[in-house]
Amino acid sequence: MADFRSQLLRIATSLVRTHGFTREALSRSVLELPAGKAHSEPLSDSAVSSLFGIGEYARKSLIEAWLNEGIIQMASKPSSSLSHVLHTRLNYNEPVLPYLPEAFALLASPERGLPPLDPRPALKHAARIADEASYISGDTSSQLSWYTHRASLAVMYSCAELHQLTSPETAHAFLDSLLTGSSAFEKSLDEVHFFSGYVLQSWKGILRSRGIL
Amino acid sequence: MFSSSTARRLSRYTNRRFLASYAYTKPSSPSDAAISTTPLDITDEQRAALDSALRVDQAGEVAANWIYYGQHCILGKQPVTGPLIQEMWDQEKKHLEVMNKMQLQHRVRPTILMEVAKIGGFGLGAVTALLGKEAAMACTEAVETVIGEHYDDQLKEMESLPSNHPSVPLMREVVKEFRDDELEHLDIAVTNHAQRAPAHALLSTVVGAGCKVAIELCKRY
Repeated sequence: MADFRSQLLRIATSLVRTHGFTREALSRSVLELPAGKAHSEPLSDSAVSSLFGIGEYARKSLIEAWLNEGIIQMASKPSSSLSHVLHTRLNYNEPVLPYLPEAFALLASPERGLPPLDPRPALKHAARIADEASYISGDTSSQLSWYTHRASLAVMYSCAELHQLTSPETAHAFLDSLLTGSSAFEKSLDEVHFFSGYVLQSWKGILRSRGIL
Repeated sequence: MFSSSTARRLSRYTNRRFLASYAYTKPSSPSDAAISTTPLDITDEQRAALDSALRVDQAGEVAANWIYYGQHCILGKQPVTGPLIQEMWDQEKKHLEVMNKMQLQHRVRPTILMEVAKIGGFGLGAVTALLGKEAAMACTEAVETVIGEHYDDQLKEMESLPSNHPSVPLMREVVKEFRDDELEHLDIAVTNHAQRAPAHALLSTVVGAGCKVAIELCKRY
């Protein structure tokens, strides 16, 4: 049953561009099954509820499946260029841009009352893309820089994606400007770190010459 | 005929060509699946266990490096103890190099407590070294006892991982090699009068308990 559900979700993600993140897309997924298994009628509403959840839970399942498919798409076009990987992910959004604002709003809606917005799905989405992009581009950061590299990528990608929702034509250029600015910032941080190392060595030398160390 | 530590050293010397860690430190083929890929056909529980195991191993090697750094800062110039600490520290540097590569290979999140591990390790090494060379050796004895047991427990957990992926048998061999190295450090510490340290029992208990707490924290965070 779990395999059948996963298969239908995968098919439904390809229907999002025509039907949006809707229960209808899930319902019609059975029509696109391989020959011999395809149904002649879409699933009933009760069947969609029993397979994917009642009400908005079903839509949330579809949105999450679509986001997972986005990660798989990133990995299917490996590149050593981080910029290329992130642009690929932005391209994945393009066919379904009109439906994305509502989809993200739905994910951020809490299941119960308070708080009014749940930031965790957005953070998880950005973190997954940052991690996958780092892996595909061959990033070798370790220890604390593993976190700082991914955090900065997540922020940049999130900004570019939000920009894409309002101004899709300039989204890729905006992402490029963020990546360029970030690498300049990283170089400055490295230089500060290097200089601090020199200062520390000088202090050590002074303390040794005074017999303190 | 030989003590267990001497036997281990002799065995290590004769088998030096076959150290598992050479796959990472002297790779003959960088694209070898054993050092460049991670098993994908494992359950979520196995993946979580593998993640936390490698995370804590990497953190442990970072902490060990900084403990020896702290000890070396204080005792590095001593004619006997200095070179001993340097030798053990060099081995830990190699361990850390391998763990860093395994962390990337298996896409493991490193612990967020890495900086705490560095500061804590340096502080522990420096403070025990200030108490004297015996106390420094007692610290090494306590830490390596906990680490040796920890690696042993990990080897038992790793038995459940599928051996059909080439990285898994290599990982087991690397952990075995590092466990033996840590136990060798333990022997060195005992041979160099760790048990003559002032308040040896208290020092060992406190350091050992601290290591166990650090292991549990790094597994999760």
